[in-house]
Amino acid sequence: MEKLKIALLGLVAVLLLIQIIDRNREPEQMGELKKSLDRLSAELARGVTVTGPATGSADPGPGTGSRPANGSTTGAHTWPAAVPPRDGNPTIGVNFLLPYDRSWYDPTKVGGTLRSINSSPKSLNPLTDQSATSSDVHGLCSDSLCSRPPYAPEQWREELATSCVIEEDYTVYRFTIRDGIIWQRPTFAGSPGFEWLAADVPLTASDFAFTLDLIMDPAVDCPSIRNYYEDLESWQAIDDRTFEMRWKRKVYNSLSMSMGLQPTPRHVYGRNADGSEIAKDRLGATFNKHWFDERRAVIGVGAYILESFEPEQQMIFVRNPRYWGVADHFERREWKLNIKDPEAELTAFKNGQIQAFGLSPLKYKSEILDGKEKRFAPLDPKDPKAGRKGPFGWERFKAMSFTYLGWNMRRKPFDDRRVRQAMSHCFPKDRIIRDIYFGLGQPVLSDVHPDSQYYDHELKPYAFDPKKARALLAEAGWTDSDGDSLLDREIDGKRETFSFEIKYFANSPEWDNTLGIYRQELRKVGIDMTPKPYEWAELVRIYEDKDFHAVVGGWRMSWDIDYFQLWHSTQIEAQGSSNFCGFANARVDELADKLRTTFETDERIAIVKEIQGIIHEEQPYTFFKSGEGIFIWQNHPVAGEAVEPGRYLRDVAIGLDSFHPLSNRTNWFWHFAR
Amino acid sequence: MIPTFLGILVINFVVLRMQGQSLVDVAKSDSRSEGGGAGVERSIRSASKQYENHIDRFRRVGNDRPPLLNFQGFLDKDDILDWLRDTDPRSPLSDSRRNRREKDLWLVGPFAVGPLAEILADDALSVWHGPASQALALCAYATLDPRDFDRLPQDRIARLIGRNEILRNNIIDFRRDAEVGFAITDPDAGAKRQRLIDAVSAADNPEFHPGMAARWSAILFDTGFAVFTGNLFTGNLYSHSQKRYVFDIIGERWSVTVWINLIAVVLAWTGSIPLGIRSARRRGTLEDRVTTNGLFFLWSLPSFFVGALLLHHFCTDGATFTKAPFPNQGLSSQGSLWFGILRYLGDLLWHGFLPMLVLSYASFTALSRYMRANLLEQLNSDYARTAFAKGCTEDRVVYQHCLRNSLITMITLGSGLLGELFSGALIVEMLFSIPGLGLLMLEGAKAYDAPLIMGSTIISVGLLLIGILIADICYAVVDPRVRSRYA
Repeated sequence: MEKLKIALLGLVAVLLLIQIIDRNREPEQMGELKKSLDRLSAELARGVTVTGPATGSADPGPGTGSRPANGSTTGAHTWPAAVPPRDGNPTIGVNFLLPYDRSWYDPTKVGGTLRSINSSPKSLNPLTDQSATSSDVHGLCSDSLCSRPPYAPEQWREELATSCVIEEDYTVYRFTIRDGIIWQRPTFAGSPGFEWLAADVPLTASDFAFTLDLIMDPAVDCPSIRNYYEDLESWQAIDDRTFEMRWKRKVYNSLSMSMGLQPTPRHVYGRNADGSEIAKDRLGATFNKHWFDERRAVIGVGAYILESFEPEQQMIFVRNPRYWGVADHFERREWKLNIKDPEAELTAFKNGQIQAFGLSPLKYKSEILDGKEKRFAPLDPKDPKAGRKGPFGWERFKAMSFTYLGWNMRRKPFDDRRVRQAMSHCFPKDRIIRDIYFGLGQPVLSDVHPDSQYYDHELKPYAFDPKKARALLAEAGWTDSDGDSLLDREIDGKRETFSFEIKYFANSPEWDNTLGIYRQELRKVGIDMTPKPYEWAELVRIYEDKDFHAVVGGWRMSWDIDYFQLWHSTQIEAQGSSNFCGFANARVDELADKLRTTFETDERIAIVKEIQGIIHEEQPYTFFKSGEGIFIWQNHPVAGEAVEPGRYLRDVAIGLDSFHPLSNRTNWFWHFAR
Repeated sequence: MIPTFLGILVINFVVLRMQGQSLVDVAKSDSRSEGGGAGVERSIRSASKQYENHIDRFRRVGNDRPPLLNFQGFLDKDDILDWLRDTDPRSPLSDSRRNRREKDLWLVGPFAVGPLAEILADDALSVWHGPASQALALCAYATLDPRDFDRLPQDRIARLIGRNEILRNNIIDFRRDAEVGFAITDPDAGAKRQRLIDAVSAADNPEFHPGMAARWSAILFDTGFAVFTGNLFTGNLYSHSQKRYVFDIIGERWSVTVWINLIAVVLAWTGSIPLGIRSARRRGTLEDRVTTNGLFFLWSLPSFFVGALLLHHFCTDGATFTKAPFPNQGLSSQGSLWFGILRYLGDLLWHGFLPMLVLSYASFTALSRYMRANLLEQLNSDYARTAFAKGCTEDRVVYQHCLRNSLITMITLGSGLLGELFSGALIVEMLFSIPGLGLLMLEGAKAYDAPLIMGSTIISVGLLLIGILIADICYAVVDPRVRSRYA
């Protein structure tokens, strides 16, 4: 009887618990219901069916039809030949923008959901949040005035602006805004309290002026962006279609800052939640904590609409049926925000939950090179495209970054150019890239990527040549006079042996090994080098105090080449400067200044090449390698396996082949089999 | 209990504050990157010069003030002048120290305004007017929050905005020179200087000319710690990396962590106590030795390793099974909100099984060994022998006589449980992609987000203390001797 009582009591407790858990789900269920109702009413207000095919974007917009659609699915895509003067290179007085290209788009390929991994954005504010994810979101949901097309990222193409005319010696930019573009509606537009948002608002020049009003307002928390617009004098919307930016002086930076401007919806960010206008003097402070951001919403004029955002869970984007341009072929996009661990990422990929992502070098080694995952095709040294054959495709991709070993030119012995050159001759770059980085990376000779049009292919690499190094060192006075197998030299009346420390990042096995090899090679020449690891924060202090003989580092490169920050002599003494090696060269100073005010592409290339030549000769850095990664995608089913709809990507290879090597991951051609 | 809590609060605050970022770091890291992976590559771009916004961020969380004691109210003209001297390019300090000194001065705020205005007014000190005007503009700059617009009177807001504008536009241009220190390059220096002095004059700006009472009370009540505890107890702790209030974020995430931790704890305790009892009763037999060794083997396996193994073999398609038997991410399937309750629970269990296994197997060993040792001790004691001698069955001796006594140690162990529930399980959350408190802490640590870390550790600490309190009460329940002492 006793036991029966206990059992009954236990049963009642369990049922109670189940009931409690069930009840707990109710608020969440109600919230979900409300959200979908909001969405539905917004869609209804817009007069578009929720599940209808996105025919809107197939509709050719203004400016198309002149070129036949190129529906090729195999082989490299051919881009329309640019007709001068619209070659995308800045020219005074004419519209130089490459035309907007719609030829790659094929409406029959539209469909499916592309799933990928991203990190959870903290805020979706277009200006105050500078995280990478946030800019990805705005990349999908919004467009800029002009853009760098992936097939020619060093040129400019029309986007929201159909023309850009630069005048008055490159200080005035006048854009003509494309007609007929409508702002997306927030998902909650039309719901109680937000009826005022349920209306079509056209994009006008004033939305761009509004962006700059905000950026230039000191109260707005976007200091790093504002920094770039320091030289901006004025901006105005001349009429609805014409927008003008005026710069104080001719500076090359103004080009990308003007062309890359994205519009901010004035009808949302300029208003309070009840639809009333925000007073001008409090706009800045209000913008930092705007009600629209607190609703985790974002709108733009771009190809995708943010449908839902659950922090740390997922973000879902759907195609914008009223997009003015041509969007990717995917009906929906989902970003998984909860996957953080490389192991978990790989598992999600193998299970088909995500279609494409970048593999870490260590995983590249274990999964592909060591053959742990048979669905990847093995590496074939003769065929760089071998990775495209397996059920999981893989290919190397290039990144705009490079690493280097820097020599402090203020201190002996590195104040002598011959010594620095000798150091470069002792560095077995190719062997290290092959053995330690598994071939990921391309040796670089300057701070311009070898695939850029600015790269000087005439530069002769400092080949690994200890004999030559020894000769150069002897020339600089370094010989082994006491027979201890270490080089020495008389400095200020004292015999000094050639020994120094190189400072580098702790917790980087690659650098541990690289410097290990380098150390052995230097030892053979008679130089004693000690690698010394530091935590990142400490290393930053070392850069700032120039407290090193030799140091390693890395830079991300930009499309706007500028030599001022790294190599100009005025930067040697500047606070927190990036010229910590102490490089000073009058000719480079002159050229760097000139480069900042030169817009003509040919002239720029000539200047950059000359600077590269000088830096190459001086070797303030021993340039090491460019960044590279591994891109993997769902290629095709294993033989005999049924095709899972919406899992395998088609035509990835076309993009890999036809885009500029430094922008080869763009998903223009991708689609799923229908 | 309360003094302990306050003590922990102070230690926690001081430790995190010591590791916090300075204004220099914040300005530098303010680029388009999130921690930047290994932080190996930095982008080529100049550090941001718009310091007002950065100072805003510091003020909002109280990081601009000294941590525990604030003597800045007593800074006078000479102190500030010495401070400025440190920032001179010719000073013996290293570049990074000078840079930091300069930015620290900008953070001092209203207390430095008076002395700086005096320096500006002094013609003999004209060398310092450049950097002093810059420091003055930043110290006197008024931070305005959207809430302030409703709280403060309209004319005051207009005046603050106007003053900010004047300060911003009247910084005297100067350059740093390794030879002469600071050299003024501004042709309009004289007029600017006067405008700055007028803008912060005593008549209109009482906040820049605090009285003695304000200076003395600032020592204790205008400190970083005071701001932090104030925010903590009013729920206003703000995380600048997540751009939200800390308790809102924790409120969103705690349920996941508590759910898996709770089940793991229940699993570990309900499994390990019977196991401990069983192996104590069969001490020295083959079974005892096998379980002991088996459990220690398990215990020696690190959970990240076991987790990765389980993930690979049981959650990855095509690794061991063509179709993985367990899901690889999250705690529920898509659309589980609309499942029937039984299917919903089943789904939760299916998702949570491996994470819970990883979480509990290690504590399983420890707990069952403790249980075994305690019970053995009791079984060997005199009263147990007496019980056996008077003819009690083994069951009766174990369950009626010894079990309660041996539970005392288990209660001590259990006192930490409540805190543990909230402390997150980083490795499991990472591997199985469960967004819980562990990952939140990791993100906070990566972003140097002290309020976020403090918010969550303080909750764990509070719960731990409550757990200890509950344990004390439980002692009384299981041990009549404790009860009788207070009866």
